[in-house]
Amino acid sequence: MHQSDTIFRTICLAGAMLALLLTAGILIQLCIHSSEAWQHFGISFLWSSEWDPGMDAYGALPHILGTLLTTGLALLLSIPLAFAVALLLTEAPDWLNRPLSQCVDLLAAIPSVIYGMWGLFVLVPLMQNHVQPFLNKTLGLANLPGGSWLLGEDGYSSGFGFLTAGVILALMVLPYMSAVMRDVFRMTPPMLRESAYGLGCTRLEVTRDVVARYGIRGIISGIFIGMGRALGETMAVLFVIGNLMESPAGLFSCGTTIAATLANNFAEATGLQQSALFALGLILLLMSFGMQILTRYYLTRTGARRGENN
Amino acid sequence: MKTNIKISTRNLNFHYGKHQALFDNNLDIYANQITAVIGPSGCGKSTHLRIYNRIFELYRNQKATGEVRLDGKNILAPDVDLLKLRHRVGMIFQKPTPFPMSIADNVAYPLKLHYKLSRSEIDDRIEEALRGASLWDEVKDKLKSSGLALSGGQQQRLCIARALAAEPEVLLMDEPTSAIDPVATLRIEELILELKKKFTIVIVTHNMQQAARISDRTAFFYKGRIVEVDDTTRIFTNPSNKQTEDYITGRFG
Repeated sequence: MHQSDTIFRTICLAGAMLALLLTAGILIQLCIHSSEAWQHFGISFLWSSEWDPGMDAYGALPHILGTLLTTGLALLLSIPLAFAVALLLTEAPDWLNRPLSQCVDLLAAIPSVIYGMWGLFVLVPLMQNHVQPFLNKTLGLANLPGGSWLLGEDGYSSGFGFLTAGVILALMVLPYMSAVMRDVFRMTPPMLRESAYGLGCTRLEVTRDVVARYGIRGIISGIFIGMGRALGETMAVLFVIGNLMESPAGLFSCGTTIAATLANNFAEATGLQQSALFALGLILLLMSFGMQILTRYYLTRTGARRGENN
Repeated sequence: MKTNIKISTRNLNFHYGKHQALFDNNLDIYANQITAVIGPSGCGKSTHLRIYNRIFELYRNQKATGEVRLDGKNILAPDVDLLKLRHRVGMIFQKPTPFPMSIADNVAYPLKLHYKLSRSEIDDRIEEALRGASLWDEVKDKLKSSGLALSGGQQQRLCIARALAAEPEVLLMDEPTSAIDPVATLRIEELILELKKKFTIVIVTHNMQQAARISDRTAFFYKGRIVEVDDTTRIFTNPSNKQTEDYITGRFG
């Protein structure tokens, strides 16, 4: 082999190995540092709700539930939004499409701390003064069974909490999701769209039955990319979640997420608390890995079902 | 043989933006006949065909002027219901375009679009359409599997079945066998000959032998103009125009 090829090959190999080593290294480090907590609390760490540094008693449940709830809310809000944005960007004429595309892409460039500040100064008061009263009174949702638990007693909202965090996260993942979905929609072969129109479909029918179906795998990948980001997002959530070490009690209740807890407590933590934080980190990482594996599995399975591997 | 005019085109001009692609096309399409449209690449034959169901309107800056009368009614009039027009005038494309769903759902799709039918009626119509496209025997045991898993020729026949299910009056075929191997092409040609009993067919083709084999009448397009239209046998044995003769004898194109 030519010498320059050898060098090139070594560099590429080193880069690839670095990625592998880093992932493995982080995982191993997390395991080592969290081992004290696992030994002390056992597997029940996962469903214990305590967080008392005075008693040195720690549990992961509020953090896990908080992470899942904020991520879930973010997806619930961002999926339809991203879908609509992506469709518009695909179908809109060029003069509208270009500036709009850029704006959506720019959303991804805003640092998360800015989202956090915006959340604190704009979104929190908005949720407190308008959104919660609107949901409770105007729509009367508080009168439904469980409504007051879900939405909080009227007049007792601080504006902080899970829903606020979910809204911010939804906006943050929107550009990633819609960018992936947009590319997918653009890849629909023109002839396929034409043949649907040729049968006498309306625009809605073509989009729903052909374009969306054709791009379903891309749409799902886009959703998972958004989900991955929402799971680990720290800064913006930290500003608006309320930072209460308690399990979610409704959409407007304050709480925490794994990422927020880590960022808030790491500086002062020592001993068992530090180990418990590492354990939380390990849980978060495994959640992300799980998400990745789920995506892979889904994509392979649908690929086979649609006959693309034949 | 009694011949009715199904589609009658008069003074049809077409523009892509500022570029004029068709010039004063006049063409009659007879009912229950196969009309072949031939000519070199870029001569406007596909463009002409795509006016019959107004599919060109999906794109900005494309404009047709003149008249295309389907059963006497001008389909270029602004008040024409495009969904109804496309229900009456089906189209088959250069490449097979099965939707990403099962074989049965592909054929059922236009049925659900245009008719309110019971489950068993739909099943009957699916079978009828697949038989009509001579695909039934090959797929009857795997109706639930994906349309994308079929071979190219089968996919194209699936698309024909899908078009048939809508029960159109006219079938437009834009080089339907250009992406398909010779054996499968022959099957589709046999199918097209069978279909003309029920439908009026306009087929754009690059393949002059194909036009000669299956069509009743042939229109020769050159640079956006219709140079000659006549019975296919006449076009291929004794064309009256020098350009037509040069093209069909392979001197250019």
